[in-house]
Amino acid sequence: MITAQNKLGLIFFPAFDWAISPTHPEREERLLYTQDQLREEGVFDIAGVTEYKPLVASEEDVARVHFCLPDVASVITESHLISAGGAIKAGELVMDKTEQKAFALVRPPGHHAMKVVHGNRGFCNINIEAVMVERLRERYGPLRVAIVDTDCHHGDGTQDIYWHDPNTLYISIHQDGRTLYPGSGFTFEDGGPNARGRTINIPLPPETSDEGFLYAIERMVLPILTDFKPDLVVNSAGQDNHYSDPITNMNFSAQGYARLSELLNADIAVLEGGYSIQGALPYVNLGIVLAMAGVDYTAVREPTYDAACIEQPRNIMPFIKKVADEVLAAYFNPSGERGMPGNYDVRRKGVFYDTDMIREEQVESIMICDECAGTLKIETSSSANPLSLCVEIPIGACDRCRDEGLRIVHEGKKKKGKDYAHIVLINRRDREYVRT
Amino acid sequence: MLLGLDIGGTHTDVVAIGKDGIAASAKVVTNHDDLLASVTGALERVFSAIDVAAVDRINLSTTLSTNAIVERTTEEVGVIVSAGPGVDPQAHAVGNRYYAIAGSIDHRGTEVLPPAEGEIQKAVRHCLKNGVKVFAAVSKFSTRNPAHENRIRDIIQGNADFTTVGHELSGALNFPRRVSTAYFNSAVWRIFNRFADAIESGVVAHGIAPAINILKADGGTMPLAVARRIPVESILSGPAASVMGIVALCDIVEDAVVLDIGGTTTDIAIFADGAPLVEDGIELDERATLVRALKTRSIGIGGDSILAVSGTSVTAGPERRGPSMADGGSAPTLIDAFNVKKLAAYGDTAASEKGVRALAKKSGRSPEDLAGAAIDYAMRAIKEASDAMVRAINEKPVYTVHEVLEGKTIVPKRLYVMGGPARAFSDALAKRFGLPITVPEQYAVANAVGAALTHATMDIELFADTERGVMLIPFLNVNERVSGSYTLEHAKKDAQARLADHLAGLGVKSAECASEIIEAASFNMVGGWSTTGRNIRVKCQVKPGIVKGYRVG
Ligand SMILES: [Zn+2]
Ligand SMILES: [Zn+2]
Repeated sequence: MITAQNKLGLIFFPAFDWAISPTHPEREERLLYTQDQLREEGVFDIAGVTEYKPLVASEEDVARVHFCLPDVASVITESHLISAGGAIKAGELVMDKTEQKAFALVRPPGHHAMKVVHGNRGFCNINIEAVMVERLRERYGPLRVAIVDTDCHHGDGTQDIYWHDPNTLYISIHQDGRTLYPGSGFTFEDGGPNARGRTINIPLPPETSDEGFLYAIERMVLPILTDFKPDLVVNSAGQDNHYSDPITNMNFSAQGYARLSELLNADIAVLEGGYSIQGALPYVNLGIVLAMAGVDYTAVREPTYDAACIEQPRNIMPFIKKVADEVLAAYFNPSGERGMPGNYDVRRKGVFYDTDMIREEQVESIMICDECAGTLKIETSSSANPLSLCVEIPIGACDRCRDEGLRIVHEGKKKKGKDYAHIVLINRRDREYVRT
Repeated sequence: MLLGLDIGGTHTDVVAIGKDGIAASAKVVTNHDDLLASVTGALERVFSAIDVAAVDRINLSTTLSTNAIVERTTEEVGVIVSAGPGVDPQAHAVGNRYYAIAGSIDHRGTEVLPPAEGEIQKAVRHCLKNGVKVFAAVSKFSTRNPAHENRIRDIIQGNADFTTVGHELSGALNFPRRVSTAYFNSAVWRIFNRFADAIESGVVAHGIAPAINILKADGGTMPLAVARRIPVESILSGPAASVMGIVALCDIVEDAVVLDIGGTTTDIAIFADGAPLVEDGIELDERATLVRALKTRSIGIGGDSILAVSGTSVTAGPERRGPSMADGGSAPTLIDAFNVKKLAAYGDTAASEKGVRALAKKSGRSPEDLAGAAIDYAMRAIKEASDAMVRAINEKPVYTVHEVLEGKTIVPKRLYVMGGPARAFSDALAKRFGLPITVPEQYAVANAVGAALTHATMDIELFADTERGVMLIPFLNVNERVSGSYTLEHAKKDAQARLADHLAGLGVKSAECASEIIEAASFNMVGGWSTTGRNIRVKCQVKPGIVKGYRVG
């Protein structure tokens, strides 16, 4: 019998009865072979590894994080609430100290879901890590959280949600945005005026292999985490960096993923993407589970593994070392203009929802503040919803920012029907989530 | 007439049941050094009281295999495994002759690396040289493709007395459990078959030829011919016999808790909609197996649990120091506490009074107070353990959106209690559980009645992969080609038909072969953006139950 060094909770929810469409990568079959592999290896019999049922997240759990338009029920299905509920269960197991670590192997994924949700983009409707983290904060009080996203795609949704939050460090390691969806995630994207350096992007060139990934963890991620001193480290454990993934161009292996998990030593891992469902996921997930549990993973190997085939081209390491300089500077010496406290910093964004073919235009304003994360105001319109007003008063908002948030909503209501189709307020200070 | 025999730790019970009820019963002391003598002794007692020619069937629950494993008197087994990459196969090593050879099959059942024949031959030679005569052949994913296990067996064949191949034990995926189960199966193969020979010749000597079945831990039986091949399925069938006894004696239709209270322990079982719950694999000698068993949990509370006072708390058990004082023992037990509280009037009630009074005096309590506190403690412990079981069952992971949202939740509606102290415990239990309670009349022979009346069970898993064009039922050794048009409906039909054919071939009456589909799923396999085939999984079982027309009680 094998004994885990770390007590590990597994929430395995393959949603065997849910798909975006019958042949879509995000379909019933996706975690079937992973389940077969984990069962055949006897993973659930390892002493110290326990399987749990996911919770079902509530609409309030979603409304605490996202501005859903026209409302929460319209943009989600039950499977999204269970997937987020799986992540929440993982978080609670760790926070309650029932388990030392937890891994939510759930679908559908979430890291492309942004603050405002008009529909599905990049296979995601709601951001399951953010829904988890914010529920944990609501229940357990303030937490410094680091989210390390090791999916091959830039986690533009998680970045967007935490862009202004100085208490959440978001680090994304991904294939360079010039070569892959969603086309963002450059080193200069480093957080809003109240949270500069709290968003860190590590773009890696196509064909990066174990060597490059582990370098990024050891030389960039770990020193930053050491400095940030998070209460909780969450790994958005996407698996599409694998050399066999059909929709990306990286050369990472199951051994590499296992080693990465061991080095990162996350408290909670949440599955994100990964669509080589037969050739990669069974082995990558096995590697991650064993590494998190502190069980020997060195014999985990894909049947198709051939070291020579996935050797990293010579020109890649110099490129990554250059990225490292930019990344460390972005965290340790963040630069950039910051306006006067009490003023708004405004940016305009266009967002495309590739799955649902929706186009969105946003004007986002953040109150610059030294006392809190600042009140956020978003005016959004899309091909699915007319112009709407979204306001967030952050956790621990100062009086000025709270009053300002309430004032904007009050003013907006006068114009409702004329200017705004919907008005949504997330008031984290007073735990009010209202829509009119 | 149906005979049921249950070899227990203390007694061996046997009953003969006719259409009109129990025709004869006997109880003999179990002789652990000679279980066969206990069995034949008990049978002789019943045979002498009935018309032997009327015996149609004998069902035996035996601890033979369990004891051999626990006492480590089993035979040495040559275990040859091909695992391939993944968790190191050495982590699953069992016995002194364990050989992990090169070779690998993936989760689809595709061979990645053929088995290293030279290594197999070397391992076999090494075993034979050391006098090993039984083997176990196990490969990872053999239930997706049994080729490696079959190849290992072929190489061994002719040199060994018996070889267990993993896929014929169960269709389930779990390599470590397959290794232990195959090992245990070969380890008890000879001892069990000798026992089977002796039973058969003993019965033949009476000039009768009844069907002989062996009880399994899942509450059902298997024909002796099957048990000879998979004797490991006979382990830990004792608690199952008692649970099936309750099913025979009472008409259970709802969610329920069943308690079997003995001298030192209480066994708890949970029923859902009147059927006992089965778990996928029990542990034996600290190793998880693939042997399915009724879900039971044992806690250290029984009629002879000794009372203890420490500070302000009063406890009972798990220690036992002989019988209750009412039964001539030297220290007060739970039964004595029930006597003192006038909830029972068992044996020498004056002795109970005296014992409890002496203990109470030491801690400055009244005897009633102490007895009440001890009973309270015991009832709470039983309730908590059964609540924990129900909770764990309700928390069992499920894998579809539908099951998460609409899955069944078990809420016990009634308590069924059997065993020697059942009557004494019943009022206190009913109060603590807040549920109506049933104590069947013949609870003392419930285990043997359960053994007599339970019927064959079998569970199989069908796996089909239309892209590879294969359909497998590992347990039945079915391995066939199927076309791209094979669907879930075909698979369900095949599973039930093959199971029924197999049972009929073993002589099981068709009325007792009714199977149900317990899991059925078909996944479209997609390559690129088009469907390449279906991956189909069907689980089908003949669940434990009681034969019709013999109901006693
Ligand atoms: Zn991805
Ligand atoms: Zn403020």
